[in-house]
Parts: sequence; structure tokens; C-alpha cells
Amino acid sequence: MTSLLPIILVILTVIGFWLGRQRSRKVAIVAGGLDRLHSRPVYHGALTALWCSLPVAFIYGIWLIFEGQIVTSLVVAGLPEHLQSLPADQLGLVINDIRNLVVGNIVSQNIDATIIAAADHYSSLISISHALLAVAMLGLVIIGILLVLSRIKASMRARNQVEKIINILFLICSTVAIFTTVGIVLSILFEALRFFQKIPLADFLFGLKWSPQTAIRADQVGSSGAFGAIPVFTGTLMIALIAMLVSVPLGLMSAIYLSEYAHRKARTIIKPLLEILAGIPTVVYGFFAALTVAPRVRDLGALLGLDVSSESALVAGVVMGVMIIPFISSLSDDVINAVPQALRDGSYGLGATQSETICRVVIPAALPGIVGGVLLAVSRAIGETMIVVMAAGLSANLTANPMQAVTTVTVQIVTLLVGDQEFDSAKTLAAFALGLLLFIVTLILNIIALQVVKKYREQYE
Amino acid sequence: MKRKLLMLAAVVMMMFPAVMCQAAARDYVSIVGSSTIYPFATVVAEQFGKSTKYKTPKIESTGSGGGLKLFASGIGVQHPDITNASRRIKKSEYEKCQKNGVKEVLEIKIGYDGIVVANSKKAPRLKLTRRDLFLALAQEVPNPKGGETLIENPYKTWKDVNPDLPAIKIRVLGPPPTSGTRDAFVELAMQGGAKTFSWLAALKKNDKNKFKAIAHTIREDGAYVEAGENDNLIVQKLEADRDSLGIFGFSFLDQNTDKVQGSWVDGVEPTFDNIAEGKYPVSRALYFYVKKAHIDVIPGMRGYLVEFTSEKAFGEEGYLGDRGLIPMPKAERNKYRKVAVELAPSLSAADFQ
Amino acid sequence: MSKRILEDSQTATEIVRAGLKRRYRAEKRFRIFGIAAIVISLLFLVILFADILGKGLPAFRQTHIRLSVFFDPDELSPGTLDSADFHGIVKKSCRTLFPEVAGRRRKKALYKLVSAGAPYEIRKMVVRNPSLIGTVKELWLPADDELDMLMKGAISRDPDGRFNVDQLAWIERLEDEGRLRKQFNFTFFTAGDSRDPELAGILGALSGTILTLLITLLLSFPIGVATAVYLEEFAKENRWSDFLEVNINNLAAVPSIIFGLLGLGVFINLFGLPRSAPLVGGLVLTLMTLPTIIIAGRAALKAVPPSIREAALGIGASPMQTVIHHVLPLAMPGMLTGTIIGMARALGETAPLLMIGMVAFIVDIPRSFSAPSTALPVQIYLWADSPERAFTEKTSAAIIVLLIFLICMNASAVYLRKKFERRW
Repeated sequence: MTSLLPIILVILTVIGFWLGRQRSRKVAIVAGGLDRLHSRPVYHGALTALWCSLPVAFIYGIWLIFEGQIVTSLVVAGLPEHLQSLPADQLGLVINDIRNLVVGNIVSQNIDATIIAAADHYSSLISISHALLAVAMLGLVIIGILLVLSRIKASMRARNQVEKIINILFLICSTVAIFTTVGIVLSILFEALRFFQKIPLADFLFGLKWSPQTAIRADQVGSSGAFGAIPVFTGTLMIALIAMLVSVPLGLMSAIYLSEYAHRKARTIIKPLLEILAGIPTVVYGFFAALTVAPRVRDLGALLGLDVSSESALVAGVVMGVMIIPFISSLSDDVINAVPQALRDGSYGLGATQSETICRVVIPAALPGIVGGVLLAVSRAIGETMIVVMAAGLSANLTANPMQAVTTVTVQIVTLLVGDQEFDSAKTLAAFALGLLLFIVTLILNIIALQVVKKYREQYE
Repeated sequence: MKRKLLMLAAVVMMMFPAVMCQAAARDYVSIVGSSTIYPFATVVAEQFGKSTKYKTPKIESTGSGGGLKLFASGIGVQHPDITNASRRIKKSEYEKCQKNGVKEVLEIKIGYDGIVVANSKKAPRLKLTRRDLFLALAQEVPNPKGGETLIENPYKTWKDVNPDLPAIKIRVLGPPPTSGTRDAFVELAMQGGAKTFSWLAALKKNDKNKFKAIAHTIREDGAYVEAGENDNLIVQKLEADRDSLGIFGFSFLDQNTDKVQGSWVDGVEPTFDNIAEGKYPVSRALYFYVKKAHIDVIPGMRGYLVEFTSEKAFGEEGYLGDRGLIPMPKAERNKYRKVAVELAPSLSAADFQ
Repeated sequence: MSKRILEDSQTATEIVRAGLKRRYRAEKRFRIFGIAAIVISLLFLVILFADILGKGLPAFRQTHIRLSVFFDPDELSPGTLDSADFHGIVKKSCRTLFPEVAGRRRKKALYKLVSAGAPYEIRKMVVRNPSLIGTVKELWLPADDELDMLMKGAISRDPDGRFNVDQLAWIERLEDEGRLRKQFNFTFFTAGDSRDPELAGILGALSGTILTLLITLLLSFPIGVATAVYLEEFAKENRWSDFLEVNINNLAAVPSIIFGLLGLGVFINLFGLPRSAPLVGGLVLTLMTLPTIIIAGRAALKAVPPSIREAALGIGASPMQTVIHHVLPLAMPGMLTGTIIGMARALGETAPLLMIGMVAFIVDIPRSFSAPSTALPVQIYLWADSPERAFTEKTSAAIIVLLIFLICMNASAVYLRKKFERRW
């Protein structure tokens, strides 16, 4: 029943749309033709539909949020005294029993008559609530439709109203991103602050040693337990740099070739093939890196007389670079495509070869978009987790040698959070501090990058 | 106009998920906790689900600490009923349970897990002692020239540590410091090794903290490689690199006996029987904790406890043994089976003295 | 005067001509670089696929063992099927095959050749068809995962290895009698997770993924497109819009695990939504994919030439009409590209699901948005971590399924994009 309601709502909305449009057509005929209307009939229809769906959706949402609570409290009120006086948590368990009974699930062993009575009470309340909701929704729909229909006139500014509503909806959608950020900050900030109460901020930011070897249990006395974030960050940056060295040339050249040289048919086949690379789960890349690539690279290194660690930054970086190729190629391909043909034609007309045109005209024109794509890729590289977990290891070495094992911020976050240690220890909280720092670093990076893009942005026509 | 309709449809569709979010009642047991016990608990859950009318319990692998945190956060359907732990519950965690209304907690020990030091089968099998392990892996070791001083670990090869061992580079893949496996290894193997130095053993009596700091700190110069929690990956890396040793749980050795071999520790081979008989020095106990208030309220709780503590599961010849869980002695099994059936005694503050 | 111009142009032509060869060479080189880049990228793809297919394809066939099962009427009666000892029936069938096996240990080694799921299969048969009771039937039952591995050559027939001499002899006899065969692994597509590799399937994870992605798509596409349109077409250039832009770009760079922390903190702890539910997974992945879709959407909108807007506005369309009727349809291909990449990322994402309890052992197949479930990549992660050898091949097989899923998604989106794509 409840799951049917939205479907009914959709149908009613469509009917509302149709009614509104019919009505406005009739009005138009009376007024002497469609061109007498301020807005086209479609807008009258849309306005009707919006007026009947939005308020109802709102009511429905409210009902969903509060129904459970209201019904539960009513049921609780009907329970015998000794059950009512239970603490809230245990009461919750009793309610769970009642709900299980209502839904027809398997219930736990001992069910007494009071619980069964409560279950009956519960289901009757639910059906009353459903009926109320259905009536309310239908009523609102009808009121909405009638309200709009009665107001439809030739001079009615339906289009402006619809546009305003849509504009507001757009605005609301765009705030989701803000709420996400607020949510993230809130969910990591407090834990991070608790970490900084235990470890001084300066030690964390400028410490050259990362070794979260503190005690796991209370009776155990931990060892050093150094929380210096620098080696972790240099490791992250080195792997991201290697990934970029692989993916930017490959991705950009693929994009250029695909959009400027390749036959249309080849393009339609190759582009989606490349996109598959982006969709392969990172777990898969991790295994590929650790088990197929790393041993080969190690053997190759041994052959050349180099000591390559089996968790080298090189392997993780290269595999990550492969994963990122489509990111760069796909996005720059779209941007290059968007460069007006006139620019190319002008360049050819001056006698430039195709590669000259690309290097001196098309790429500069597409640069802001390409930089955008590369930035996306960099952020992806920094935030990538599973590949580095499997291929880059956990040892925090402060080194510039890509053949050595390094660790990254994300790896540390994962291992710190999914370990066996106590949840409120400095070790676990360090994950939040790292997350916060990473968040801030990417924020600064992005602000800089955005300024660059803005400065070189040009509009073409 | 088509577009407008589409947009309307989109708006309405956005409500669909909201429909589904009504809190459904929970009719399955919810279990969280250690990734070490996960392979055992899941087998029991599956058996239980298949052979009874109850639903199969849901088991999350969150790590012991994360599991206990969830477990301790309160009573009610939104909180898990059982948590698995590869270490004993801590006093602070128990106190948190008390504070959040989880008054009665049952502790059930399920068996032992051996921690093995293994290498590729293509390489010779090593016969180590705990002293070797301590000398090879500690950050600071007693000065080999004598005297009661510590120096930065100078050993590069196993031969340096002990002339009887082959001259291969020390390279050990092991769990990170966040892992309970590492914790247990350090406490059982390294500490045991440290105690073989008489002056360190004396230090233990006088200054326990200093001793532990020496025995528990693993070197960070690359000889010990923190290889993550994925033990399968360690096994595969060992296969590719025959000079490396790996530290992981016995169940992984048990499943990969054709690829890797366990090194002897103190003259004992890490086999099922040796660990079960307590001869093998590096093994730890595994537990799970149960909320008593949830029994009889969440369907299937009792059944799951009975199944887990039945002789056919955690017994001598039980199916958990086939998966690598080392059974406890009979008396201990009976003790914990009694706890599971009689639902008593609960943990009390006295248990943490 | 005119002579000078002629001379000048002649020298100019000569200069151009002199450089022509070099320039054509550069042109050729450039082209080769392009082809090389594509070939290298595709080569990676091929190697990866070959690696995975090589490991995963065998998992689609499973070794079965033929036993003559006696549906013993003493054990089974239609009323008491629940408590009947089906394990005993399987064991008895094994013993009739090898009557000479004696001793507890050896018997146990013999029973190990048959899957732990065989009794349940027999039980299912009897429940479906009670008339079987009292008859003897030759049945193909699933073999144990280790025997399966042996048959596939992943475990060697070394008597010191996984099987002892006795077991190897029995296996040889079974082979000679034609009692072992590989058949298509239906279980893999019809079952949920299991701790026995031969009984494990991906249907549970697959439906979890579908439910999760459905929510993600339904939420992130409309919200993403709306946000992109708002920011690109309607928002006034001011601090607020700058702030939004920085904010969105930044969100795209936030590691996915942090979205997991957000999901844990907000959706589960604050809103009280259930753990391990596709609903929460979908919401978290929505927030994670949104920035990707928005950024790609804005890039696509930017790429629509201003002339289109000017023309529409010039003939009297309102800004909203301009956008909805003209700009948006032209930007759709780019937006779809962004959505594909975003959804592809969501499809393969593991880390955030780790934090919201979707890394779990769930046998029952999820049927609603709030039922406990895992997702395909999480299942891969879990299986990859399992000690049993046969899970390696199952892991790769699950990867293959995931990739097929991905390719289907991509193909449909590419088809849509092709229908609209346009060059200026």
C-alpha cells in the first residue's frame, strides 16, 4: 500500500498535467486562439502538475519521518505498566518483537498475550495511518489541481511561475554539495580535535616519523608511537606523481588522436574501451598490481641489478596511472571536441599542418578544460585507496626513491580504522586527523587550480 | 515538453528511495567484529541458517576494536547482538558497555589461533627460536659484544642472528601495528625471546614498562614489512619471493600447505595438534561477546550460541577445526558451552582485576 | 616595387618549402605518438582482461561427483524431513562406493571429497519430490572445493600436498569409473554468499549492487544535472557561486573512504538508517558521484557555443527555455559521459562501503532497499581475503561478472551519447 502511493502520485501528476493543458487550450479557444495566451498550454499543465505533486511529496516525506515514532509511542502507551516502565533501549527490543509479529517474521521464543495484543494494536494503527495519509494526499492533489485550474486565464503568467519553481529546485539541488561538505567536516572534525588533544598539532604536521606503534591494550606499554604526517604525505605525492607521469601523456595523446585523427568508427569503438579502464574496480587493480605487475618489476629490477621492493611506489603509481588514463582522455576528448572547427580551419588556411594546429591552436584553446580533467585525475590519484593498500604497503619511509615502499594517507586511514585496536585510541583518531589534513590539502590545491583555470578561460565563437 | 515531463518524473522519482527507508523490524542476528574470527563465525552462521528455520545471521568484518565500539553503543535493534574479538575485551570497553546500558555481557571463548612464521616451500624450512625472532625483528637489541646495553638492531641476515640459520636477508612480511595478530605476535614471540636474556628478564621484574618497550617495538628499517591485513596476499608474495618470511594466522597456512611451510619455533612445528596441545608457543585465544538482553528478543540468538558451542562445531573433530580454528581442551569447552546454554555468568568488573 | 614583393614571396615560399620535410616528419611523429598512446592503453586493458579471464573462467564450471544415493525410508519420512539426517545419507553413499574404507580418520578423509552442501541438495530434492523415498538414485552432487581445484590442476597430485595417498587413490578410481565430471556452475549465479567455495554465488552481491546503484543513479543524475545547469546558466557570478564551485571541485578530490565516514556519522548515527543497507550505500555513493557528474556536466554546458544561447534568446525564449530546450540537449552527451564515469566509479567502489557495514557475510539475497546486503566489489574484497584456495578463482569470476555489468552500462550510455553527439 505505502509503496503503491508514489505510483499513484505519479499517475495523478500526469493527470494534473493533462487537465491543466486541456483547460488552458479551452481558455485559449474562448480567448480567440493559442496566441492569446501569455504562456503555452504546456506551462499551465506543468504548473498544475507541480502544484499537485510538490505539496504531496512534502507531506509524504513528513509522514515517513514521523509515522514510525507516532505509531510507536501510541503502541507504547497501550502497553501494560511493567513494560512501559522499562528503559528506552529495552523497550525498543519489545517494539522490535511486536513489529516482527506484525510483519509476519519469525519471532523469538516467548510471546505473551500482551505482545500479541500490542501487535494487533500496532497493525490497526498502521492501517489507520495509511488511510489517513491516502486521504490527505488525494485531498491535496485535488485541491492543488482545482486551485490551479480555477486560476488558469489567458493572462496567467504560468511560464514564469513554472520557471521560478524549477529555478528554486535547481538551487536546492546545488546546495546538496554544501551539505555534503558540512557533513564531512562535522563527521571528521570532532574526532580529529580529540586526536590533537593527545598529540600536539606541530608534531603531527612537521614530524618526520610515522609509526603508530602504540599499545593496543591498556596493560601493554606502547613503544614510540610517532605521528608525523610528512612521510605519509610525501609517499602519497610520489605515487600520485608517478601516476600522472603515466596517465597524462597517454591520456592526452589518446584523446588528441581520437578526436583529431581517428576515423569516426575507430573512435566509437576505442573510446568506450578506454572508459572500461576507469570502471574496473580498484580492488582488481590492486590485485593486478600486487600479484602480476610487482613480481615482474622486481625480477626485472633484479636483472638490472636494482633492488626493487615488492611494494614499490613505482608499481602502485604505474597501475594507478593506467586506471586514470580514461579519466584524462575522456574528459579532454570532450573538451577538444568542443573547440570550434573554425579555429582549426583558420589554422589550416594559414598553412599549418595538423599537428601544428593541434599543438598551437586546439590545445591552448582547450587548456582550461584539460587542466580541469587533469585536476580531477590528480584528486583521484591522491584519494585512491585499494590499489595502494595492496601494492604500496604500509611502511612510512621518507624517501625519493620510487623503487622503495612508501605508504599513503588513504592506506593509513583504512588500516587505522579497520584494525583491532580500541576505537578511542590515538591510533584510530589519527585516521580522522589524516582525513582532515587531506581534506584541507585538496581544498587548497583546488582553490589554486581554479584560479589558474579562470585566468585562462576563453569563450569561443 | 518531453523534457518537462522527464523533469517531473525525476522529481517524483527522487521520492522513491524515501519509501523504502521505513525501519523494518530486525529478524536476524547481527554480528560484528574481528576479521580473524570472521571465517569461523560465518561457517557457523551458514550452518545455523541452513539447518534451522531462522534467517542466516549477518556478520560484518569490522575489526575487534570497531566491533566492540558498535557492540558497546547500546541495547536495541540498531545495535549488534554479538561481537567477535581476537583479543579479550578491555576494561575501558567493558565500562563503556555498562555506561551505555549493556549491563550483562557474556564472554565465550571459542578456541585458539596459532600465529605462524612461514616461507615458500621452495626455500629450506627454518628452525627458529623466539630469541632469533626477537633479535631479528626488535628495534633495539642487546649489544652482541656483551654488557647490559642496547644498540640499534645491526642484524642484516638470519646468519648474523644465529649461525645455524642460512645467510639470507632478514625480510619479514607481517601485519601492521593496528592488527591484533601483530599484537599477539609481539607479546608471545618477541617478548618470549627477550626473556631469554637474563638481564632483560630481570628488567621485566623491576621495570615492566621499559621491558615491554624493548620487547614490543619492531624495527622500522625495512627488514619488517608491514604487509596489510590481507593474509592471502602475504601468502602469494611469499610464493613469489622465496627469501621472505611471513607472519599470519594458522588457518592460512593450513589452506596453503602446498605453497608455504611454517617455520619451527623453539623446536616445535606449527601443526594443528601441536597448537592444540599448547606445545607451539605462539598462539592466542579468540572470543565472542553476547548481549544478554538481546537473547529471546532477537530471533535465533539462542540457536546460534548453541550451534557455535556444539561439539560438532568447535569440538575436537568439529567443522571449525577443518577451517583452522584450534580447539580448546575439553574442560574449557564444557565451561564455555555451559555459559552459552545457561546464559550465565555475565562479565563483571572483577574479571578485569 | 612589385619585383621586391615577388622576391619576398619567393624567399618565403622557399623557407616554407625547406621546412616542409621537417614539418611533415613532425606531423608523422605526432601521429605515431597518438597511436602509441592508444595502443599502450589498450594493451594494459588486454593484459588485465587476459589475466582475469585466465583465472576466473574455470570457476564457471564445477566438479560434480556421481553417487548412488539410497533414500532410506528408515531415515526419511515425509513428516520429519526437518530433523532427518541427510549428512548420514551422503556418508552412507560414500561408504557404499568404497566399502573397504575403515577407521575414523580414513572415513573422514573420504567424506571430505563431497561438498558440505550435498546433504542440503538431497534434502531439497526430497522436499520437492517425496516419492523418491525408498528408491536408489544415481545423483551428480557437488564435489568439495579442494577436489574441484585438483581436477582443475590448481592443486598438484603430490601426496604430501593437500590430499593424502588414500584420497588420491580414491579420486583416481572415481575418475576411472566416470564418477567425476565438470558441469556448468549454476550455483554461482543462483546462490548468495557461502563459506564453501563450491556453494558460493554472487546473486546476493549482484542484487545488492543493483539496488545500491539504482538509488545512486536516481538521485545523482537529476541532482547532478540540476546543479550543473544552475551553476553554469543561472547562478550569478558572486562569492556564493565561487564558494559552491570550489566546494564541488574539492568534493571530487575527497577520498572515498571519507564519504564512508560521512555515511557512518550522518546517515547511520544521526538519521538512524540501518547498517549494511543498500539505501545507505546508495546515498553515500550518490554524494560521492555527484561532484564528478556536476563537473562533467558543467564542462559539457560550457562547450555549447554561446551562439546557440544568443540565438534562442534573440527569438524571444526565456533563459529557462533556452537552457532546457536548446543548451541542455546539446550538452547531454557530455553529461552522460560524466554520469557513466561517475557510475562506473560507484560500481567499483569498496572503501566507503567498508565504513557503513556492507563488508558483511550475508547469505540471504536482499530484496528491499533496507535489507542487509553487500555489493559486488565488496564481495570480491571479501572472497579475495578468504583462506580457501578455490575462492581465488571465484574472486576472478566475480570480477568478470562485475566487468560484464560495467560493460553493459557503458554500452547503453555510449549508445545514448552517440545519438546526440555533435561537433561545432
